[in-house]
Amino acid sequence: MRALGVLFRKELHATFTSPIAYAIGGVFLLVLGYTFSLTLFFTKVANLTYIFHQTYVLLVLLVPVLTMRVFAEERRSDTLELLLTAPVAEVWVVLSKFLASLALVTAMLVASGAYAVVLGLYGQPDWAPIYGGYLALLLLACLLVAVGTLTSALTENQVVAAAASLGTFLMLWFADSVAYLAPAPLDLFFINLSLIGHFTTFVRGSLFLSDAGYYVTLSLLALFLTTRALADR
Amino acid sequence: MSASPPVIVVDNVTKLYGRVAAVRGVSLEVRSGEVLGLLGPNGSGKTTLLRMLTGYLSPSAGRLTVAGHDTVRDALAARRRIGYVPESVPLYSHMRVGEFLAFMARLRGMPRGAEPGAIARVAERLSLAEVMAAPIRTLSRGYRQRVALAQALVHEPDVVILDEPTNGLDPRQIIETRKLIQALAGERTVLISSHILGEIEKVAHRVAILLRGELLAVRAVAETPDLEALFLSLT
Repeated sequence: MRALGVLFRKELHATFTSPIAYAIGGVFLLVLGYTFSLTLFFTKVANLTYIFHQTYVLLVLLVPVLTMRVFAEERRSDTLELLLTAPVAEVWVVLSKFLASLALVTAMLVASGAYAVVLGLYGQPDWAPIYGGYLALLLLACLLVAVGTLTSALTENQVVAAAASLGTFLMLWFADSVAYLAPAPLDLFFINLSLIGHFTTFVRGSLFLSDAGYYVTLSLLALFLTTRALADR
Repeated sequence: MSASPPVIVVDNVTKLYGRVAAVRGVSLEVRSGEVLGLLGPNGSGKTTLLRMLTGYLSPSAGRLTVAGHDTVRDALAARRRIGYVPESVPLYSHMRVGEFLAFMARLRGMPRGAEPGAIARVAERLSLAEVMAAPIRTLSRGYRQRVALAQALVHEPDVVILDEPTNGLDPRQIIETRKLIQALAGERTVLISSHILGEIEKVAHRVAILLRGELLAVRAVAETPDLEALFLSLT
């Protein structure tokens, strides 16, 4: 566990001193702030449903840029050899990178909490969908960062890693569309694989264990595959 | 030297990449305090063999042990006993020298209390004191090589593995690196690879000659007056 702490601190430092982190954070908050102001001005309704969906799209687009470097950069600069010849299990290397990237996304989500505070100060929002929405975004971030970490571990080219992550996210997003073409009971599989299907229920304020289980299971699967990819040398 | 127990044991090791054998049926032992030089042209399997010893690569067949620990089954225990400088001298350029050495010491499980003393000792030994606060990206090639050697020694390992340690260094830096390796002899077991015969001859007790993944010969340097002739006759 001490090794995880040592690696996590190193990753956290690398993540938060990278200009990419600030560029991503800046774009994220700028776009959300613009959307929030515009939506509030036009609808005068104190809810964040629209913002949550906007955040969902932004995370799908921005997380590949954030995670593309985590392993690809170590491979390119050969420092992965230093890490993997140290007396540290591969799983700690993977978890440290996953947690550091997740910390940045969480910081971005926390900063976006200012919109909820504004609603609370000037209106009377229904808090259940807001709590549900933030929980959904956190679970979504776990899944996206885990898949992004996996694709980064499979290549030393950062652009390839980002493109592979984005492609995977989009395929998961639109998986339920395939259900129209698939015969039963395969159609149910594709419906349940959909990224957006499990997200929407949270934002409506309904919490289902199956939805949380979807994000947790796929995140763990991606982290397991990343560990295997590193160990397979 | 021959009475001391083997610290490194390579037992009939093969490494395949698809159908190509990078290392084929290599067996050798390195004894405590010995400096063994791996000599061979580019592509002879030196780096692959070293990477298998460090646990970075797994053998396709055979077994490797470091200080009695299997490098696959007991990988973490084996890696704790090794200090390794890869050929490409990888370093975290954004870190400062002191910060990097502390990171590597912690990563190798050095107790927190022992860390500052160990870093100070290795910094003094490699004359790094004046650049401890400097970012690694600002260092010259020579200093980068010294930092790489320092990270390999900071946790005081039993075995030091150096892959082409004099590559890209100027003559003064080559002499300094050679002196360091000579100073390590006796106190650590050193495995060093090079394709430069003269370098190996000056620092190693024994030399192992590799060609196309096969071990052709292992000779004591002191008992082989014309190593160059032997190398040419074998390769």
